[in-house]
Amino acid sequence: MSTTEKTIVISRFDPDKDEAPYTQEYQVPCDPSWKVLDAVNFIKDELDATVSHRWSCRMAVCGSCGMMVNGEPKLTCKTALDEYGDRVEIEPLANFPVVRDLVVELDGFMHKFESVKPWIKRVKERAEDMENFNEKGTYSQSAEELGRFKQFSMCINCMLCYAACPVVANEPEFLGPAAIALGHRYNLDTRDEGTEERHEIFRGEGTVFSCSYANECSEVCPKGVDPAAAVNQAKFGAVIDWAKGLVLPRAPHAAD
Amino acid sequence: MAGPAHPEAMAPPKPGRTRTAPPQMPSTWWSSPRIRTYLLFDATGIIYFLVGFLAIKIVGQLGAGPIAWQAQMKALENPIYILFHVVALASVIFVAVRFFRLFPKAQPPAIGPAKPPPGPVIHAGLYVLWIGLTLVVSLALAGVIF
Repeated sequence: MSTTEKTIVISRFDPDKDEAPYTQEYQVPCDPSWKVLDAVNFIKDELDATVSHRWSCRMAVCGSCGMMVNGEPKLTCKTALDEYGDRVEIEPLANFPVVRDLVVELDGFMHKFESVKPWIKRVKERAEDMENFNEKGTYSQSAEELGRFKQFSMCINCMLCYAACPVVANEPEFLGPAAIALGHRYNLDTRDEGTEERHEIFRGEGTVFSCSYANECSEVCPKGVDPAAAVNQAKFGAVIDWAKGLVLPRAPHAAD
Repeated sequence: MAGPAHPEAMAPPKPGRTRTAPPQMPSTWWSSPRIRTYLLFDATGIIYFLVGFLAIKIVGQLGAGPIAWQAQMKALENPIYILFHVVALASVIFVAVRFFRLFPKAQPPAIGPAKPPPGPVIHAGLYVLWIGLTLVVSLALAGVIF
């Protein structure tokens, strides 16, 4: 199959040598079937072994290969090179500190992720006292109950939504789309009893009310999670929970 | 290719062991059609800010007596004011269309046992409510009803 030569411009940064990122161009013979990741791998394998980037599954389920391609956050294993012209600019994900070349620092994201308590929280201690407990020792959940949160559980933590969000770029304390969507996923799960606690987190500074509904996160999400919907549903839930708290006693919080 | 984002954007809770380059955002971030629509949406806040001041001024003139009120009504015939109100109307329509498009997916999946209607029904219902209320208020102001 014939190849087309494209100019691939890659952002480079070595923390031991460079003061700031710079760009480097490579002439790459691209196969028409290639994804952007194939071009980056070709550069590393054949042209410049010092280029650093993350990738893993090559089938858009691990979320490792997120990068900015011509200014848009993309999963490079899923993005066809043919969508672009003769010059393709590849940079590390926007709004993240850069460790090296196309690799970004993830600790900030993991910290925000953990802060929404993304696990099933139970209050009751005895299994027999728990709702939906059945004789098989499992929780019953109907297909409809699963359907309420399943969409928000499809997140692969690729962080494209963080790279696209204008609020993340300007407010360091903002939890961000993926973390809030995940917290909302557990709030919608009928097995979970930590909703009040998460809504209290969501009423804090830098959480759901920092979102200005730009909807960019949902536009770039490769898995159809629609984090903008989750964040704005969470706003509604947080307000209702606050109003209920004015007149009803609070249930004890589930232990972490 | 990229410009600086907030220097602490997505920063880890404690410093890492490796020096990192500060976070960047695309220097052409404003040029995407979607982002331009969003920026325009947010910029309409300036129009509403000015509308608020004008409303306060008009109420003040109403309280100042019939001569001041007549002078204010005369001033509102100025083409500048008319242009301002045309722009304000256009921004209201623009914001409403965008808001109505995004409103259905912000609804919770259920409120107790009650489920909201499907998205397209909510979307259509918002337009019916908006246009209906506009008609009622317009007819009331024109003296046709009430």
